[in-house]
Amino acid sequence: MTGTSWWGRSGRGPQSESCRLLSVDAESRVFSRLRATIAWETLRFMLSGARLRLVLVVLLSAVFWGSLYTLFIEGFSFLESIHAEVISLLFNAFFSSLMIMLVFSTAILLYGNMYCSTEAKLLLTLPVRAEAIFAHKFHEAMWFSSWGFILLGSPMLVAYGVVRGSPWTYYLLLLPFMVSFVVIPATLGAICCMAAVAWLGSLRMHALAILGVVLCAGAAWLGWSLFGSSPAAGGTTEWFEQVLARLSIAEQKFLPSWWLSSGLLDAAQNSTRPETQFASLLEAVKFLAVLVSNGMLLQLLARWLARSCYRQGYSQLVGEMPARRQRRIAWADEVLSAAGTARGRPLRLLLVKDLRLFRRDIAQWSQFVIFFGLLGLYFFNLRVFNYNVAYASMISFLNLAVAGLILSTFTTRFVYPMISLEGRRFWILGLLPVHRDQILWSKFLFSFLGGVVPCCALLYLSDSMLGISNSLIWVHEICCVVLCMGLSGIAVGLGARMPDLRESSPAKIAAGFGGTLCLVLSSLFIMAVVVIAATPTHLAMATRAFGGGGPPPSGILGWASGPQGTAASLLLVGFLGVIATFLPLELGLRAFRRLEP
Amino acid sequence: MIEFDHVTRTYGPKPAVTDLSLSIPRGELFALLGPNGAGKTTTIKMLVGLLRPSRGAVRICGYDLTKEARSAHLHTGYVPDEPTLYDKLTGREFLWFIADMFGMPRHMATQKIGREIEHFELAEFCDDLTESYSLGMKQRLVFAAALLHDPDVLVLDEPMVGLDPRSVRIVKDLLRTRTQEGMTVFMSTHTLAMAEEMADRVGIMVRGQLRFLGTIAELRDHMALETTNLENLYLELTTAGPDAS
Repeated sequence: MTGTSWWGRSGRGPQSESCRLLSVDAESRVFSRLRATIAWETLRFMLSGARLRLVLVVLLSAVFWGSLYTLFIEGFSFLESIHAEVISLLFNAFFSSLMIMLVFSTAILLYGNMYCSTEAKLLLTLPVRAEAIFAHKFHEAMWFSSWGFILLGSPMLVAYGVVRGSPWTYYLLLLPFMVSFVVIPATLGAICCMAAVAWLGSLRMHALAILGVVLCAGAAWLGWSLFGSSPAAGGTTEWFEQVLARLSIAEQKFLPSWWLSSGLLDAAQNSTRPETQFASLLEAVKFLAVLVSNGMLLQLLARWLARSCYRQGYSQLVGEMPARRQRRIAWADEVLSAAGTARGRPLRLLLVKDLRLFRRDIAQWSQFVIFFGLLGLYFFNLRVFNYNVAYASMISFLNLAVAGLILSTFTTRFVYPMISLEGRRFWILGLLPVHRDQILWSKFLFSFLGGVVPCCALLYLSDSMLGISNSLIWVHEICCVVLCMGLSGIAVGLGARMPDLRESSPAKIAAGFGGTLCLVLSSLFIMAVVVIAATPTHLAMATRAFGGGGPPPSGILGWASGPQGTAASLLLVGFLGVIATFLPLELGLRAFRRLEP
Repeated sequence: MIEFDHVTRTYGPKPAVTDLSLSIPRGELFALLGPNGAGKTTTIKMLVGLLRPSRGAVRICGYDLTKEARSAHLHTGYVPDEPTLYDKLTGREFLWFIADMFGMPRHMATQKIGREIEHFELAEFCDDLTESYSLGMKQRLVFAAALLHDPDVLVLDEPMVGLDPRSVRIVKDLLRTRTQEGMTVFMSTHTLAMAEEMADRVGIMVRGQLRFLGTIAELRDHMALETTNLENLYLELTTAGPDAS
């Protein structure tokens, strides 16, 4: 029978009359229904089971939007009064940077969604067009990669319209402009992703690494040329003009960001003469048409590419030789395992295990490096500006809060789910001759040690760049240690108190009620520590500023703004740290001892 | 109905399946056996269109999986080793999604969804979100989805994993009935008893090559051993050198 077709080509199975291949529109409708059903179920779940999270997300988004809107109103009012033409430059720089980010974020998201997800595996075995699967996954990826743009861009653009007194048509055109713009970089990212998988094969990682190095070098050069190499002093008008002159590189007529900026500026024109107003509106619509037509053209190209090479690329990727790399034990692991007493060895071995898992999970360490790297870059650039003492002190405390908030996102996203995930593998740890408490203490130590080193180093960098006094540096460093302890205690304790043993995805565990509570408590703890620590310093500055060179204040105000006040605030911070560390840990230890997986 | 025509698939320089030629007619239940790493999963992935052969062609009902994947998929039902579902869909919604994807008319879809819910005893939980299902419940739903459009070819990858004895019986009975009605089943399994009980023919793969193809009785004759136990025959064949066949 081999080599000949038993079933004739024209033949159809006796049982398949009930089904047929769908048209392009019908496939699109089925996928739309699927997305709508999933979105509705997710919303229903959030309304019924995750209300706290939903309320927090809406509330924080509203606060974020409102703050940005106020900031932009102030900024645009200032710029309108001095340099109206600067706005075009800023729009171009903002949208072109965003365009680059959107290309990369969509490409990365689509790579995961189209080639590595179990859904893609299911869809590729159904009688559906490759381009329909692409379109379905593209919708998801575009939304995920661009919601930040909408959240960040909308207050800016609304504020600009308000400051300019723009006509209602401007606000009407905002959404179409933003959506049509987002489609272009997102589609470009999709094209790059599919082409890289289909044609670069196993070389794609090398190509990506080279591209990453080139982009980092480009970003470093741009950053240096904009802020670092300027001969003028930071913050002066001359310096500002030099920076703007260099930003003009973003004003290129072939870039979609220029079409968007120009269209928005035209739409925002406010003229008393109706004919001028109408001409501006027409210009804006022309730019919108350019954006839409280019987006559609790119979509056609992407769908053609999906039709030609999605299945082939998927097959190629699945068929790649699985990497069997021998993992050599790092010297640090060996040192950590061997050092110390025999009694503490189980704890150290658990630490080494978590360290290895962290090193080998690219999602964890890459986010860690990116966020703390960006924070480091920001701190490093603080030296460009000249601050007075009060302003520098305020920024230094805000930086302490920022470092804490970034650390809290890590403890919530990566440390909080550790216990739930450990619970799923409890048959391994449960059978070892290790006391359960040691498992929890090892998580705490892992989180604390992993956070305290970069945070303290970054705060030292921030304070050095700001020219902060040594005594205040010590205050910050003590607060930082307390923050790291407290945040680790909250994450580990709550993780053990509220484990989710059914869920295997750490992201979903962190997004649940316990994870949200962990983030809220962490944020409150950070705010409390920063406010308590900052009060004596700023009280002293305020009394000096308002005292007019007279004698230092007496009584409670004098005490609170002096060294005694600082010592008391540190004691209070320490007390708060002890509560935040040991209370959740104790609750977690009790629950973990009773845990029955 | 299923045809592998001199199919070779390599992973980098390493061959996973070498020159596989195999034809399975209508109404046959074929079981593919072999040790871990023998190339069974690669063969299944090529049969459902997830992998393309490096050389040769795979056809279902005469449709080449590389050139006419959609037409071939229209005739195929697939039950993977790990059930893939949408967490935020209910079991019924998932079945409707599959019915829509296969272009089934509404009245027919309603009737067939009802039939599969009854066959696989899904009624109790099919209106719950699938994220709350156990492995066995998920596997039953995937079976129902794979059989919904009455495929001409059913591809099963380790089908009994996670199923309780009652579900196993349901599946076995259903496979018997459907093969009698003309459906072809291609099954990869490690459960020798299942292959012995159900399969019309078995294929035994070792290191990417089909070392034996035939009925269990032919395997016994072929091995010319005193034992008639399939487990012993299988172990003898899969641990012997390349010239054992």
